Amino acid sequence: MTMKTSHAFLLAAAVLALLAAAPLLIPDYWTGVLLGMTGYVTLATAWAMFSGPTRYVSLATVAFFGVGAYTVAVLNETLPYPLVLLCAGGIGMVMALIVGFSTLRLAGVYFVIFTFGLAELVRQTVSWWEVNITYTMGRYVFLPFEGRHIYWQLLALAAATFLISWGIGRSRIGLALKALGDDETVAAHAGVDVTRIKLLLFVISSTIITLVGAIQAPRWTYIEPSIVFNPTVSFMTLIMALLGGAMRLWGPLVGAIPLFLLFEWLSVSFPDHFSIILGLLFILIVFVMPEGVLAKIETLRKGSPK
Amino acid sequence: MSAQLEISNLQKRFGGLVAVAGVSFSLAPGEVVGLLGPNGSGKTTVLNMISGALPCDGGTVRVGGADITRLKPHQVAKHGVARTFQLVRPLPTLNVAENVLLSLAFGKHRHWGKEARDRVEEKLEFVGLAGRGQEKVGNLTYIDQKRMEMARALASEPDLLLLDEWLAGLNPSELRIGIELVQHLQGQGMTVLLVEHIMEAVRALCSRCIVMSAGEKIAEGPSAEVLQEPAVIKAYLGDDHA
Ligand SMILES: Nc1ncnc2c1ncn2[C@@H]1O[C@H](COP(=O)(O)OP(=O)(O)OP(=O)(O)O)[C@@H](O)[C@H]1O
Ligand SMILES: [Mg+2]
Repeated sequence: MTMKTSHAFLLAAAVLALLAAAPLLIPDYWTGVLLGMTGYVTLATAWAMFSGPTRYVSLATVAFFGVGAYTVAVLNETLPYPLVLLCAGGIGMVMALIVGFSTLRLAGVYFVIFTFGLAELVRQTVSWWEVNITYTMGRYVFLPFEGRHIYWQLLALAAATFLISWGIGRSRIGLALKALGDDETVAAHAGVDVTRIKLLLFVISSTIITLVGAIQAPRWTYIEPSIVFNPTVSFMTLIMALLGGAMRLWGPLVGAIPLFLLFEWLSVSFPDHFSIILGLLFILIVFVMPEGVLAKIETLRKGSPK
Repeated sequence: MSAQLEISNLQKRFGGLVAVAGVSFSLAPGEVVGLLGPNGSGKTTVLNMISGALPCDGGTVRVGGADITRLKPHQVAKHGVARTFQLVRPLPTLNVAENVLLSLAFGKHRHWGKEARDRVEEKLEFVGLAGRGQEKVGNLTYIDQKRMEMARALASEPDLLLLDEWLAGLNPSELRIGIELVQHLQGQGMTVLLVEHIMEAVRALCSRCIVMSAGEKIAEGPSAEVLQEPAVIKAYLGDDHA
Protein backbone atom coordinates (compact mmCIF):
# COMPACT_ATOMS: atom_id res chain seq x y z
CA MET A 1 0.00 0.00 0.00
CA THR A 2 1.36 3.42 -0.91
CA MET A 3 1.66 6.40 1.42
CA LYS A 4 -1.21 8.08 -0.33
CA THR A 5 -3.63 5.21 0.08
CA SER A 6 -2.69 4.66 3.71
CA HIS A 7 -3.35 8.35 4.40
CA ALA A 8 -6.67 8.06 2.62
CA PHE A 9 -7.55 5.06 4.77
CA LEU A 10 -6.66 6.90 7.96
CA LEU A 11 -8.82 9.82 6.92
CA ALA A 12 -11.70 7.50 6.00
CA ALA A 13 -11.42 5.75 9.37
CA ALA A 14 -11.49 9.09 11.19
CA VAL A 15 -14.55 10.27 9.28
CA LEU A 16 -16.24 6.95 9.94
CA ALA A 17 -15.55 7.21 13.67
CA LEU A 18 -16.95 10.72 13.71
CA LEU A 19 -20.07 9.62 11.86
CA ALA A 20 -20.50 6.71 14.23
CA ALA A 21 -20.30 9.05 17.23
CA ALA A 22 -22.75 11.55 15.75
CA PRO A 23 -26.02 10.07 17.15
CA LEU A 24 -24.67 10.49 20.65
CA LEU A 25 -24.16 14.21 20.04
CA ILE A 26 -27.06 15.31 17.87
CA PRO A 27 -30.86 15.38 18.36
CA ASP A 28 -32.83 12.29 17.31
CA TYR A 29 -34.40 14.10 14.37
CA TRP A 30 -30.97 14.59 12.80
CA THR A 31 -30.01 11.00 13.48
CA GLY A 32 -33.06 10.11 11.43
CA VAL A 33 -31.87 12.34 8.59
CA LEU A 34 -28.39 10.85 8.81
CA LEU A 35 -29.91 7.39 8.73
CA GLY A 36 -31.94 8.04 5.59
CA MET A 37 -28.96 9.69 3.95
CA THR A 38 -26.65 6.78 4.74
CA GLY A 39 -29.26 4.44 3.27
CA TYR A 40 -29.33 6.34 0.00
CA VAL A 41 -25.55 6.77 -0.15
CA THR A 42 -25.27 2.99 0.13
CA LEU A 43 -28.01 2.38 -2.43
CA ALA A 44 -26.48 4.79 -4.92
CA THR A 45 -22.95 3.43 -4.43
CA ALA A 46 -24.12 -0.16 -4.79
CA TRP A 47 -26.20 0.74 -7.84
CA ALA A 48 -23.24 2.49 -9.49
CA MET A 49 -20.97 -0.48 -8.83
CA PHE A 50 -22.81 -2.38 -11.53
CA SER A 51 -24.66 0.21 -13.59
CA GLY A 52 -21.86 2.81 -13.73
CA PRO A 53 -19.22 0.99 -15.73
CA THR A 54 -21.55 -1.41 -17.58
CA ARG A 55 -24.11 1.31 -18.40
CA TYR A 56 -26.91 -1.15 -17.79
CA VAL A 57 -29.39 1.26 -16.25
CA SER A 58 -31.29 -0.74 -13.65
CA LEU A 59 -34.65 0.27 -12.23
CA ALA A 60 -34.83 -2.90 -10.18
CA THR A 61 -33.37 -1.23 -7.09
CA VAL A 62 -36.66 -1.19 -5.24
CA ALA A 63 -37.38 -4.81 -6.13
CA PHE A 64 -34.36 -5.89 -4.11
CA PHE A 65 -34.79 -3.21 -1.47
CA GLY A 66 -38.41 -4.25 -0.92
CA VAL A 67 -37.61 -7.95 -0.83
CA GLY A 68 -35.01 -7.22 1.86
CA ALA A 69 -37.53 -5.29 3.94
CA TYR A 70 -40.23 -7.91 3.45
CA THR A 71 -37.95 -10.75 4.43
CA VAL A 72 -37.34 -9.02 7.74
CA ALA A 73 -41.07 -8.37 8.17
CA VAL A 74 -41.87 -12.05 7.60
CA LEU A 75 -39.06 -13.60 9.61
CA ASN A 76 -38.43 -11.13 12.45
CA GLU A 77 -40.52 -13.04 14.98
CA THR A 78 -39.27 -16.52 14.09
CA LEU A 79 -35.51 -16.15 13.71
CA PRO A 80 -32.74 -14.33 15.59
CA TYR A 81 -31.96 -11.02 13.94
CA PRO A 82 -28.51 -11.87 12.49
CA LEU A 83 -30.05 -14.92 10.81
CA VAL A 84 -32.85 -12.78 9.44
CA LEU A 85 -30.30 -10.48 7.81
CA LEU A 86 -28.43 -13.48 6.45
CA CYS A 87 -31.65 -14.83 4.95
CA ALA A 88 -32.45 -11.46 3.40
CA GLY A 89 -28.97 -11.28 1.84
CA GLY A 90 -29.28 -14.86 0.60
CA ILE A 91 -32.70 -14.27 -0.96
CA GLY A 92 -31.44 -11.10 -2.65
CA MET A 93 -28.46 -12.99 -3.99
CA VAL A 94 -30.52 -15.84 -5.43
CA MET A 95 -33.01 -13.44 -6.93
CA ALA A 96 -30.17 -11.45 -8.52
CA LEU A 97 -28.70 -14.63 -9.98
CA ILE A 98 -32.01 -15.58 -11.58
CA VAL A 99 -32.74 -12.09 -12.85
CA GLY A 100 -29.17 -11.66 -14.04
CA PHE A 101 -29.11 -14.93 -15.93
CA SER A 102 -32.30 -14.12 -17.74
CA THR A 103 -31.73 -10.43 -18.49
CA LEU A 104 -28.09 -9.53 -18.83
CA ARG A 105 -28.28 -10.45 -22.50
CA LEU A 106 -30.79 -7.67 -23.03
CA ALA A 107 -29.20 -4.51 -24.21
CA GLY A 108 -29.93 -0.84 -23.59
CA VAL A 109 -33.51 0.21 -23.23
CA TYR A 110 -34.85 -3.36 -23.03
CA PHE A 111 -32.91 -3.89 -19.86
CA VAL A 112 -34.27 -0.65 -18.37
CA ILE A 113 -37.83 -1.65 -19.16
CA PHE A 114 -37.36 -5.18 -17.91
CA THR A 115 -35.96 -4.05 -14.58
CA PHE A 116 -38.79 -1.58 -14.14
CA GLY A 117 -41.27 -4.32 -14.93
CA LEU A 118 -39.52 -6.64 -12.53
CA ALA A 119 -40.01 -4.24 -9.63
CA GLU A 120 -43.73 -4.02 -10.41
CA LEU A 121 -43.99 -7.79 -10.83
CA VAL A 122 -42.36 -8.43 -7.47
CA ARG A 123 -44.64 -5.93 -5.78
CA GLN A 124 -47.79 -7.43 -7.35
CA THR A 125 -46.66 -10.95 -6.51
CA VAL A 126 -46.02 -10.09 -2.88
CA SER A 127 -49.40 -8.32 -2.63
CA TRP A 128 -51.20 -11.24 -4.23
CA TRP A 129 -49.45 -13.72 -1.96
CA GLU A 130 -50.30 -11.77 1.18
CA VAL A 131 -53.94 -11.32 0.20
CA ASN A 132 -54.65 -14.81 -1.14
CA ILE A 133 -52.27 -17.13 0.63
CA THR A 134 -51.31 -15.71 4.00
CA TYR A 135 -54.37 -13.45 4.45
CA THR A 136 -52.25 -10.60 5.83
CA MET A 137 -52.52 -7.03 4.63
CA GLY A 138 -49.34 -5.53 5.96
CA ARG A 139 -47.02 -6.76 8.64
CA TYR A 140 -45.49 -5.43 11.83
CA VAL A 141 -41.80 -5.38 12.51
CA PHE A 142 -41.08 -5.50 16.21
CA LEU A 143 -37.39 -5.24 16.79
CA PRO A 144 -35.87 -3.45 19.76
CA PHE A 145 -34.01 -0.95 17.62
CA GLU A 146 -33.89 2.78 17.93
CA GLY A 147 -32.91 5.04 15.07
CA ARG A 148 -29.26 5.08 16.04
CA HIS A 149 -29.03 1.27 16.06
CA ILE A 150 -30.33 1.12 12.54
CA TYR A 151 -28.04 3.96 11.58
CA TRP A 152 -24.97 2.15 12.90
CA GLN A 153 -25.83 -0.95 10.94
CA LEU A 154 -26.31 1.09 7.78
CA LEU A 155 -23.04 2.91 8.39
CA ALA A 156 -21.20 -0.40 8.65
CA LEU A 157 -22.85 -1.57 5.44
CA ALA A 158 -21.96 1.70 3.73
CA ALA A 159 -18.32 1.35 4.78
CA ALA A 160 -18.23 -2.23 3.51
CA THR A 161 -19.81 -1.12 0.24
CA PHE A 162 -17.16 1.54 -0.28
CA LEU A 163 -14.42 -0.94 0.51
CA ILE A 164 -15.81 -3.44 -2.00
CA SER A 165 -16.26 -0.78 -4.64
CA TRP A 166 -12.73 0.51 -4.08
CA GLY A 167 -11.32 -3.02 -4.26
CA ILE A 168 -13.17 -3.80 -7.48
CA GLY A 169 -11.98 -0.54 -9.02
CA ARG A 170 -8.38 -1.55 -8.48
CA SER A 171 -8.75 -5.17 -9.55
CA ARG A 172 -8.77 -6.70 -12.99
CA ILE A 173 -12.53 -7.09 -12.61
CA GLY A 174 -12.82 -3.32 -12.46
CA LEU A 175 -10.80 -3.03 -15.65
CA ALA A 176 -12.96 -5.65 -17.35
CA LEU A 177 -16.13 -3.83 -16.27
CA LYS A 178 -15.03 -0.56 -17.81
CA ALA A 179 -13.94 -2.36 -20.95
CA LEU A 180 -17.21 -4.20 -21.43
CA GLY A 181 -19.12 -0.99 -20.78
CA ASP A 182 -17.29 0.47 -23.79
CA ASP A 183 -17.49 -2.52 -26.09
CA GLU A 184 -18.51 -6.01 -25.04
CA THR A 185 -17.18 -7.61 -28.22
CA VAL A 186 -13.70 -6.20 -27.75
CA ALA A 187 -13.67 -7.14 -24.08
CA ALA A 188 -14.73 -10.70 -24.91
CA HIS A 189 -12.00 -11.02 -27.53
CA ALA A 190 -9.46 -9.85 -25.00
CA GLY A 191 -10.43 -12.86 -22.90
CA VAL A 192 -13.06 -11.38 -20.59
CA ASP A 193 -15.94 -13.69 -19.72
CA VAL A 194 -18.40 -10.87 -20.17
CA THR A 195 -21.51 -12.68 -18.95
CA ARG A 196 -19.86 -13.92 -15.80
CA ILE A 197 -18.46 -10.55 -14.80
CA LYS A 198 -21.75 -8.77 -15.39
CA LEU A 199 -23.55 -11.40 -13.37
CA LEU A 200 -21.02 -11.22 -10.55
CA LEU A 201 -21.34 -7.46 -10.25
CA PHE A 202 -25.11 -7.53 -10.54
CA VAL A 203 -25.27 -10.04 -7.70
CA ILE A 204 -22.90 -8.08 -5.43
CA SER A 205 -24.75 -4.83 -6.10
CA SER A 206 -28.21 -6.35 -5.65
CA THR A 207 -27.27 -8.14 -2.45
CA ILE A 208 -26.10 -4.88 -0.89
CA ILE A 209 -29.32 -3.18 -2.01
CA THR A 210 -31.36 -6.01 -0.46
CA LEU A 211 -29.49 -5.55 2.80
CA VAL A 212 -30.22 -1.82 2.85
CA GLY A 213 -33.93 -2.67 2.66
CA ALA A 214 -33.58 -5.32 5.34
CA ILE A 215 -31.72 -3.10 7.79
CA GLN A 216 -34.14 -0.21 7.28
CA ALA A 217 -37.24 -2.39 7.76
CA PRO A 218 -37.54 -1.94 11.55
CA ARG A 219 -37.82 1.79 10.98
CA TRP A 220 -41.29 1.56 9.50
CA THR A 221 -42.76 -0.71 12.20
CA TYR A 222 -45.65 -1.34 9.81
CA ILE A 223 -44.84 -2.62 6.32
CA GLU A 224 -46.96 -3.20 3.25
CA PRO A 225 -46.03 -3.64 -0.42
CA SER A 226 -46.90 -0.10 -1.49
CA ILE A 227 -44.48 1.30 1.11
CA VAL A 228 -41.40 -0.83 0.52
CA PHE A 229 -41.86 -1.32 -3.23
CA ASN A 230 -42.28 2.36 -3.99
CA PRO A 231 -40.65 2.97 -7.42
CA THR A 232 -39.44 6.39 -6.24
CA VAL A 233 -36.64 4.55 -4.44
CA SER A 234 -35.30 3.26 -7.79
CA PHE A 235 -35.52 6.66 -9.42
CA MET A 236 -33.92 8.51 -6.52
CA THR A 237 -31.03 6.04 -6.40
CA LEU A 238 -30.49 6.42 -10.12
CA ILE A 239 -30.60 10.19 -10.13
CA MET A 240 -28.24 10.46 -7.15
CA ALA A 241 -25.66 8.22 -8.77
CA LEU A 242 -25.96 10.11 -12.05
CA LEU A 243 -25.66 13.51 -10.40
CA GLY A 244 -22.42 12.65 -8.68
CA GLY A 245 -21.10 10.45 -11.49
CA ALA A 246 -21.67 6.71 -11.59
CA MET A 247 -18.19 5.95 -12.92
CA ARG A 248 -16.36 7.20 -9.84
CA LEU A 249 -16.03 5.75 -6.37
CA TRP A 250 -17.14 8.96 -4.64
CA GLY A 251 -19.62 10.04 -7.31
CA PRO A 252 -22.77 8.46 -5.83
CA LEU A 253 -21.96 9.88 -2.39
CA VAL A 254 -21.46 13.36 -3.81
CA GLY A 255 -24.82 13.08 -5.55
CA ALA A 256 -26.74 11.38 -2.74
CA ILE A 257 -26.07 13.81 0.09
CA PRO A 258 -27.40 17.06 -1.43
CA LEU A 259 -30.24 15.32 -3.26
CA PHE A 260 -31.36 13.48 -0.15
CA LEU A 261 -31.50 16.73 1.80
CA LEU A 262 -33.30 18.42 -1.07
CA PHE A 263 -35.86 15.61 -1.32
CA GLU A 264 -36.42 15.69 2.42
CA TRP A 265 -37.16 19.38 2.25
CA LEU A 266 -39.31 19.07 -0.87
CA SER A 267 -41.39 16.21 0.46
CA VAL A 268 -42.12 18.21 3.59
CA SER A 269 -42.68 21.57 1.88
CA PHE A 270 -44.36 20.46 -1.35
CA PRO A 271 -45.81 17.00 -0.69
CA ASP A 272 -48.26 17.29 -3.60
CA HIS A 273 -45.75 18.29 -6.25
CA PHE A 274 -42.91 16.09 -5.14
CA SER A 275 -43.04 13.70 -8.12
CA ILE A 276 -43.17 16.49 -10.66
CA ILE A 277 -40.18 18.23 -9.14
CA LEU A 278 -38.33 14.92 -9.01
CA GLY A 279 -39.02 14.38 -12.70
CA LEU A 280 -37.88 17.86 -13.68
CA LEU A 281 -34.69 17.48 -11.67
CA PHE A 282 -34.04 14.21 -13.37
CA ILE A 283 -34.26 15.76 -16.81
CA LEU A 284 -32.14 18.72 -15.78
CA ILE A 285 -29.33 16.55 -14.42
CA VAL A 286 -29.23 14.29 -17.47
CA PHE A 287 -29.09 17.30 -19.80
CA VAL A 288 -26.66 19.49 -17.93
CA MET A 289 -24.30 16.92 -16.47
CA PRO A 290 -24.64 13.54 -18.14
CA GLU A 291 -21.25 12.51 -16.72
CA GLY A 292 -21.93 13.80 -13.23
CA VAL A 293 -20.67 16.60 -11.02
CA LEU A 294 -17.22 15.15 -10.38
CA ALA A 295 -16.45 14.83 -14.09
CA LYS A 296 -17.74 18.36 -14.61
CA ILE A 297 -15.46 19.74 -11.92
CA GLU A 298 -12.53 17.87 -13.40
CA THR A 299 -13.02 19.29 -16.86
CA LEU A 300 -13.57 22.76 -15.45
CA ARG A 301 -10.33 22.50 -13.52
CA LYS A 302 -8.43 21.35 -16.58
CA GLY A 303 -10.00 24.29 -18.38
CA SER A 304 -10.72 22.31 -21.54
CA PRO A 305 -14.42 21.97 -22.32
CA LYS A 306 -13.84 18.69 -24.17
CA MET B 1 3.17 -31.38 -37.34
CA SER B 2 -0.42 -30.32 -36.76
CA ALA B 3 -1.76 -27.16 -38.37
CA GLN B 4 -1.92 -23.98 -36.29
CA LEU B 5 -5.31 -23.24 -37.78
CA GLU B 6 -7.51 -25.63 -39.66
CA ILE B 7 -11.00 -24.76 -40.80
CA SER B 8 -13.11 -27.18 -42.73
CA ASN B 9 -16.39 -26.69 -44.52
CA LEU B 10 -17.19 -23.51 -42.60
CA GLN B 11 -20.67 -22.14 -43.31
CA LYS B 12 -22.65 -19.07 -42.39
CA ARG B 13 -26.02 -17.76 -43.54
CA PHE B 14 -27.64 -14.44 -42.70
CA GLY B 15 -31.31 -15.02 -43.42
CA GLY B 16 -31.42 -15.90 -47.09
CA LEU B 17 -27.88 -14.69 -47.77
CA VAL B 18 -25.15 -17.33 -47.82
CA ALA B 19 -22.15 -15.37 -46.54
CA VAL B 20 -19.76 -18.31 -46.25
CA ALA B 21 -20.51 -21.46 -48.24
CA GLY B 22 -18.30 -24.27 -47.04
CA VAL B 23 -14.78 -22.85 -46.87
CA SER B 24 -11.79 -24.98 -45.89
CA PHE B 25 -8.12 -24.15 -45.47
CA SER B 26 -5.32 -24.49 -42.99
CA LEU B 27 -2.27 -22.57 -41.78
CA ALA B 28 0.97 -24.19 -40.70
CA PRO B 29 2.70 -22.76 -37.61
CA GLY B 30 4.64 -19.62 -38.48
CA GLU B 31 2.91 -19.06 -41.79
CA VAL B 32 1.58 -15.65 -42.85
CA VAL B 33 -1.30 -16.24 -45.21
CA GLY B 34 -3.43 -13.70 -47.06
CA LEU B 35 -7.21 -14.00 -47.21
CA LEU B 36 -8.38 -11.96 -50.18
CA GLY B 37 -11.59 -11.31 -52.01
CA PRO B 38 -13.83 -8.51 -53.19
CA ASN B 39 -16.10 -6.58 -50.81
CA GLY B 40 -18.77 -8.72 -49.25
CA SER B 41 -17.11 -12.00 -50.19
CA GLY B 42 -17.21 -13.26 -46.60
CA LYS B 43 -13.67 -12.66 -45.29
CA THR B 44 -14.67 -10.89 -42.09
CA THR B 45 -17.39 -13.47 -41.52
CA VAL B 46 -14.76 -16.23 -41.66
CA LEU B 47 -12.65 -14.33 -39.13
CA ASN B 48 -15.68 -13.83 -36.92
CA MET B 49 -16.40 -17.54 -36.91
CA ILE B 50 -12.79 -18.38 -36.05
CA SER B 51 -12.68 -15.89 -33.18
CA GLY B 52 -16.06 -16.98 -31.85
CA ALA B 53 -17.76 -13.64 -32.52
CA LEU B 54 -20.32 -15.46 -34.70
CA PRO B 55 -21.58 -19.01 -34.25
CA CYS B 56 -20.94 -21.29 -37.24
CA ASP B 57 -23.89 -22.80 -39.11
CA GLY B 58 -21.68 -25.71 -40.11
CA GLY B 59 -18.10 -26.91 -40.28
CA THR B 60 -15.29 -26.94 -37.74
CA VAL B 61 -12.48 -24.71 -36.53
CA ARG B 62 -9.37 -26.25 -35.01
CA VAL B 63 -6.53 -24.34 -33.41
CA GLY B 64 -3.33 -26.20 -32.58
CA GLY B 65 -5.30 -29.43 -32.89
CA ALA B 66 -8.09 -28.42 -30.47
CA ASP B 67 -11.66 -28.09 -31.68
CA ILE B 68 -12.79 -24.55 -30.86
CA THR B 69 -15.84 -24.44 -33.14
CA ARG B 70 -18.41 -23.82 -30.44
CA LEU B 71 -16.35 -21.75 -28.03
CA LYS B 72 -17.16 -18.19 -27.02
CA PRO B 73 -14.70 -15.38 -27.87
CA HIS B 74 -13.14 -15.29 -24.41
CA GLN B 75 -12.50 -19.02 -24.56
CA VAL B 76 -11.06 -18.75 -28.06
CA ALA B 77 -8.73 -16.03 -26.75
CA LYS B 78 -7.42 -18.44 -24.13
CA HIS B 79 -6.62 -20.90 -26.92
CA GLY B 80 -4.10 -18.36 -28.18
CA VAL B 81 -6.12 -16.60 -30.85
CA ALA B 82 -6.13 -12.79 -31.05
CA ARG B 83 -7.56 -10.42 -33.59
CA THR B 84 -7.91 -6.85 -34.71
CA PHE B 85 -11.10 -5.36 -36.12
CA GLN B 86 -11.79 -4.03 -39.59
CA LEU B 87 -12.90 -0.73 -38.06
CA VAL B 88 -10.61 0.07 -35.14
CA ARG B 89 -12.34 -0.46 -31.84
CA PRO B 90 -10.44 1.34 -29.07
CA LEU B 91 -11.99 1.32 -25.61
CA PRO B 92 -12.43 5.06 -24.92
CA THR B 93 -12.97 4.81 -21.15
CA LEU B 94 -9.54 3.23 -20.78
CA ASN B 95 -6.27 4.92 -21.58
CA VAL B 96 -3.79 3.41 -24.03
CA ALA B 97 -1.97 1.35 -21.41
CA GLU B 98 -5.21 0.03 -19.91
CA ASN B 99 -6.45 -1.03 -23.34
CA VAL B 100 -3.37 -3.21 -23.63
CA LEU B 101 -3.42 -4.27 -19.99
CA LEU B 102 -6.89 -5.76 -20.49
CA SER B 103 -5.58 -8.48 -22.78
CA LEU B 104 -2.70 -9.22 -20.43
CA ALA B 105 -5.00 -9.46 -17.44
CA PHE B 106 -7.41 -11.82 -19.15
CA GLY B 107 -5.09 -13.60 -21.57
CA LYS B 108 -3.61 -17.05 -21.18
CA HIS B 109 -1.28 -16.06 -18.35
CA ARG B 110 -3.49 -13.57 -16.52
CA HIS B 111 -0.73 -11.08 -15.72
CA TRP B 112 -1.42 -8.36 -13.17
CA GLY B 113 0.46 -5.81 -11.09
CA LYS B 114 3.99 -4.65 -11.79
CA GLU B 115 4.81 -7.52 -14.10
CA ALA B 116 1.77 -6.72 -16.24
CA ARG B 117 2.70 -3.03 -16.38
CA ASP B 118 6.18 -3.91 -17.61
CA ARG B 119 4.74 -6.10 -20.30
CA VAL B 120 2.33 -3.38 -21.38
CA GLU B 121 5.29 -1.06 -21.91
CA GLU B 122 7.04 -3.81 -23.85
CA LYS B 123 4.08 -4.25 -26.20
CA LEU B 124 3.67 -0.50 -26.64
CA GLU B 125 7.32 -0.21 -27.50
CA PHE B 126 7.01 -3.01 -30.03
CA VAL B 127 4.24 -1.24 -31.96
CA GLY B 128 5.93 2.17 -31.69
CA LEU B 129 3.89 3.70 -28.87
CA ALA B 130 6.61 3.72 -26.23
CA GLY B 131 5.87 6.06 -23.33
CA ARG B 132 2.38 6.94 -24.54
CA GLY B 133 0.45 4.64 -22.24
CA GLN B 134 -1.21 7.41 -20.25
CA GLU B 135 -2.77 9.11 -23.27
CA LYS B 136 -6.48 8.92 -23.99
CA VAL B 137 -7.20 6.67 -26.95
CA GLY B 138 -9.49 9.34 -28.33
CA ASN B 139 -6.49 11.61 -28.84
CA LEU B 140 -4.53 9.08 -30.89
CA THR B 141 -4.19 9.44 -34.64
CA TYR B 142 -5.68 6.75 -36.82
CA ILE B 143 -2.44 4.85 -37.28
CA ASP B 144 -1.70 5.07 -33.57
CA GLN B 145 -5.12 3.62 -32.79
CA LYS B 146 -4.29 0.78 -35.15
CA ARG B 147 -0.96 0.34 -33.39
CA MET B 148 -2.71 0.26 -30.06
CA GLU B 149 -5.14 -2.34 -31.31
CA MET B 150 -2.21 -4.46 -32.47
CA ALA B 151 -0.55 -4.09 -29.07
CA ARG B 152 -3.82 -5.13 -27.43
CA ALA B 153 -4.03 -8.21 -29.64
CA LEU B 154 -0.41 -9.14 -28.98
CA ALA B 155 -0.83 -8.62 -25.25
CA SER B 156 -2.94 -11.76 -24.97
CA GLU B 157 0.21 -13.57 -26.14
CA PRO B 158 -1.40 -15.38 -29.05
CA ASP B 159 -0.06 -18.11 -31.29
CA LEU B 160 -2.42 -17.11 -34.05
CA LEU B 161 -3.17 -13.55 -35.07
CA LEU B 162 -6.15 -12.59 -37.21
CA LEU B 163 -5.72 -9.21 -38.87
CA ASP B 164 -8.80 -7.76 -40.58
CA GLU B 165 -7.51 -5.11 -42.99
CA TRP B 166 -5.17 -3.85 -40.36
CA LEU B 167 -3.18 -1.99 -43.00
CA ALA B 168 -6.15 -0.28 -44.64
CA GLY B 169 -6.36 3.51 -44.52
CA LEU B 170 -2.67 4.12 -43.92
CA ASN B 171 -0.65 6.51 -46.07
CA PRO B 172 2.33 5.10 -47.99
CA SER B 173 4.95 5.75 -45.33
CA GLU B 174 2.67 4.43 -42.58
CA LEU B 175 1.98 1.40 -44.72
CA ARG B 176 5.70 0.67 -44.88
CA ILE B 177 5.91 0.86 -41.09
CA GLY B 178 2.89 -1.40 -40.78
CA ILE B 179 4.33 -3.99 -43.14
CA GLU B 180 7.61 -3.97 -41.24
CA LEU B 181 5.74 -4.57 -38.02
CA VAL B 182 4.02 -7.64 -39.39
CA GLN B 183 7.33 -8.83 -40.82
CA HIS B 184 8.79 -8.47 -37.37
CA LEU B 185 6.06 -10.72 -35.99
CA GLN B 186 6.70 -13.14 -38.81
CA GLY B 187 10.33 -13.22 -37.72
CA GLN B 188 9.21 -14.19 -34.23
CA GLY B 189 7.33 -17.14 -35.63
CA MET B 190 3.78 -15.83 -35.28
CA THR B 191 1.10 -17.43 -37.43
CA VAL B 192 -0.96 -14.73 -39.13
CA LEU B 193 -4.14 -14.79 -41.18
CA LEU B 194 -4.16 -11.49 -43.00
CA VAL B 195 -7.35 -10.19 -44.59
CA GLU B 196 -6.13 -7.54 -46.98
CA HIS B 197 -7.00 -5.57 -50.09
CA ILE B 198 -3.63 -3.87 -50.52
CA MET B 199 -1.68 -5.98 -53.00
CA GLU B 200 1.64 -4.39 -52.09
CA ALA B 201 1.19 -5.67 -48.54
CA VAL B 202 0.06 -9.10 -49.67
CA ARG B 203 3.08 -9.49 -51.93
CA ALA B 204 5.45 -8.34 -49.21
CA LEU B 205 4.04 -10.48 -46.45
CA CYS B 206 2.22 -13.54 -47.69
CA SER B 207 3.92 -16.50 -49.26
CA ARG B 208 0.52 -18.01 -49.76
CA CYS B 209 -2.99 -16.66 -50.44
CA ILE B 210 -6.56 -17.80 -50.26
CA VAL B 211 -9.11 -15.98 -52.38
CA MET B 212 -12.84 -15.88 -51.66
CA SER B 213 -15.69 -14.71 -53.81
CA ALA B 214 -19.36 -14.70 -52.89
CA GLY B 215 -18.75 -16.91 -49.87
CA GLU B 216 -16.69 -19.53 -51.63
CA LYS B 217 -12.99 -20.22 -51.84
CA ILE B 218 -12.07 -19.76 -55.50
CA ALA B 219 -8.29 -20.03 -55.37
CA GLU B 220 -5.43 -20.95 -53.09
CA GLY B 221 -1.66 -21.13 -53.57
CA PRO B 222 1.56 -19.13 -53.72
CA SER B 223 0.69 -15.42 -53.87
CA ALA B 224 2.44 -14.66 -57.16
CA GLU B 225 0.57 -17.43 -58.96
CA VAL B 226 -2.82 -16.98 -57.35
CA LEU B 227 -2.98 -13.30 -58.20
CA GLN B 228 -2.52 -14.16 -61.89
CA GLU B 229 -5.35 -16.68 -62.05
CA PRO B 230 -8.20 -15.68 -64.39
CA ALA B 231 -10.86 -16.59 -61.83
CA VAL B 232 -9.25 -14.25 -59.30
CA ILE B 233 -8.89 -11.39 -61.73
CA LYS B 234 -12.48 -11.90 -62.80
CA ALA B 235 -13.75 -11.87 -59.23
CA TYR B 236 -11.91 -8.64 -58.50
CA LEU B 237 -12.41 -6.76 -61.74
CA GLY B 238 -15.53 -8.25 -63.31
CA ASP B 239 -16.06 -10.34 -66.47
CA ASP B 240 -14.65 -7.88 -68.99
CA HIS B 241 -11.10 -8.24 -67.78
CA ALA B 242 -10.92 -12.02 -67.64
N1 LIG C 1 -24.03 -9.55 -39.06
C1 LIG C 1 -24.48 -9.64 -40.32
N2 LIG C 1 -25.79 -9.68 -40.59
C2 LIG C 1 -26.24 -9.77 -41.86
N3 LIG C 1 -25.44 -9.83 -42.94
C3 LIG C 1 -24.11 -9.78 -42.74
C4 LIG C 1 -23.56 -9.67 -41.42
N4 LIG C 1 -22.21 -9.66 -41.52
C5 LIG C 1 -21.93 -9.74 -42.84
N5 LIG C 1 -23.07 -9.82 -43.57
C6 LIG C 1 -23.14 -9.97 -45.01
O1 LIG C 1 -22.37 -11.09 -45.36
C7 LIG C 1 -21.63 -10.85 -46.53
C8 LIG C 1 -20.16 -11.04 -46.25
O2 LIG C 1 -19.72 -9.98 -45.44
P1 LIG C 1 -18.25 -9.86 -44.88
O3 LIG C 1 -18.24 -8.71 -43.96
O4 LIG C 1 -17.79 -11.15 -44.37
O5 LIG C 1 -17.46 -9.48 -46.21
P2 LIG C 1 -15.94 -9.07 -46.38
O6 LIG C 1 -15.35 -10.04 -47.35
O7 LIG C 1 -15.27 -8.91 -45.09
O8 LIG C 1 -16.10 -7.67 -47.11
P3 LIG C 1 -15.22 -6.34 -46.98
O9 LIG C 1 -14.05 -6.49 -47.86
O10 LIG C 1 -16.16 -5.27 -47.46
O11 LIG C 1 -14.87 -6.18 -45.55
C9 LIG C 1 -21.99 -9.45 -46.99
O12 LIG C 1 -22.99 -9.57 -47.96
C10 LIG C 1 -22.51 -8.80 -45.76
O13 LIG C 1 -23.48 -7.83 -46.07
MG1 LIG D 1 -14.46 -7.38 -44.03
